[in-house]
Amino acid sequence: MIPYADFFSLGVALYVTFVAAMAGLLDWLRQTRLWVVVATAVMLVLTFSGSQVLWHGAKGQVVTVPTLAFVLAYAFFQYIVARAWLAVRIRGKRQWAYCTVIGLALAPLVVAKLGNHLAPSDVLGFLGISYLTFRCVDTVIGIQDGLITDLPLVQYLAFLLFFPTLSAGPIDRYRRFEQDWTGNPTASAQRGSGQTATAIPLVSPAAGTGRSRTRAEWLNDLDGALQRIFRGLLYKFILASLIRQYWLNPAAHMPGLLGTLSYMYAYSFYLFFDFAGYSAFAIAFSYVLGIHTPENFNRPFLARDIRDFWNRWHITLSYWFRDHIYMRFVLAATRGKWFKDRHLASYGGFLLSMGLMGAWHGLTWYYLIYGLYQAALLIGHDVFSRWNKQHHVLHGPAWTAASIALTFNAVCFGLLLFSGHLA
Amino acid sequence: MSVTSTTASKVLDVLVRITGTDEVRRNLDLPLFDTGLLDSLGVAELIIGLSDTLGIEIAPSEVERDLWSTPRQIIAYAEERIKA
Repeated sequence: MIPYADFFSLGVALYVTFVAAMAGLLDWLRQTRLWVVVATAVMLVLTFSGSQVLWHGAKGQVVTVPTLAFVLAYAFFQYIVARAWLAVRIRGKRQWAYCTVIGLALAPLVVAKLGNHLAPSDVLGFLGISYLTFRCVDTVIGIQDGLITDLPLVQYLAFLLFFPTLSAGPIDRYRRFEQDWTGNPTASAQRGSGQTATAIPLVSPAAGTGRSRTRAEWLNDLDGALQRIFRGLLYKFILASLIRQYWLNPAAHMPGLLGTLSYMYAYSFYLFFDFAGYSAFAIAFSYVLGIHTPENFNRPFLARDIRDFWNRWHITLSYWFRDHIYMRFVLAATRGKWFKDRHLASYGGFLLSMGLMGAWHGLTWYYLIYGLYQAALLIGHDVFSRWNKQHHVLHGPAWTAASIALTFNAVCFGLLLFSGHLA
Repeated sequence: MSVTSTTASKVLDVLVRITGTDEVRRNLDLPLFDTGLLDSLGVAELIIGLSDTLGIEIAPSEVERDLWSTPRQIIAYAEERIKA
């Protein structure tokens, strides 16, 4: 079962969370933790009900394992890696250990992607592994930065396998999730709110009672959830479906430049409404359970420029790469004086983060080209806007409108590359 | 002069150098991201600047940008970190 792909899976998610939503009528049943664990357990069993081939014997015999066992093994592996890393990190910073742990956290994804590439099968991957990897690596980096100082088992697994966002995000952060989970901003998220931990506590202050929403918070969450469910229905099941049936599919067979252009716009709108609709469902079901998963889209086709676009399109992915790849590259490059010009460090960061983002989508040439294209746009925009700022040539409402139109078309062309239609 | 105001002036010095304008000193509530004075490259340089002048190490994912978008907020954060 693929989450939110059809009315059936949407209905299942509604049934599972309905109990949690209604239980909120009673004070003592407004526990976020309880419902996250129950709902996630039920949905994991339903989503990963199949089994997958582990081994094809020489004589045709086939060894299979339940997919669920596979997913749980993955989650426990990541937990053990992160937990061990935390124990090492408390004793001091060790660069080699940090690199090893990042490698271990990435290993299952790399094996699944490379394995798929060498011998196409679904042997090692499972639905959502790409997105789970982001959360694992985020936790590892948080530990390195001293921002994550405790890793309770149930809390980590709930964060990692949280069912509403399991298959395709939005990509939440461990420290943000922790705040909703514990209802306690003084857990290891405290540095983010301006208070610094002087020493790394061995026992989390949040280890006590769980989060219980007030009645007002519960109603607010349900309100947010309902709005998003209807937006999801409109975007995914009405607009994206109509676009696919009446525009995208016919355009796919249209010859010539006009056909390609038509496909480009159709695909861009289809992808937006489909993915933004999925994200709305994912965030809606998070809210029902009291978890405020971050937004993924904010009117991306109205972006003023390409930089603005990446603050509006697949936001959680874009911010992940910004915080964990771009910023760290620029910091290292500036501190190490790798480049004479400060802007070159930034351009290196664009190339690295967008290139990796392309590769993450899949090791196919058009994903890589897509990543490099986005980096080129970001670099081009930076060069242009600095020149424009200095000479003050293009400004005013007409230029803003032109800039929005230009950005929209540049973005659509990027999505055409991404679609593989030109391949 | 108290310790806090020294911190404030050091933070503002760094901000003036990065943004290239005195405006950040005059208007402590200037939205740095919306006005385009600060971008990701600027944040990286700010992190290095605060590390060099105040000795505080801030991780890139540590602060949400909407909690760190004006000179006043950045000063407050630096002061909190120094106090602790």
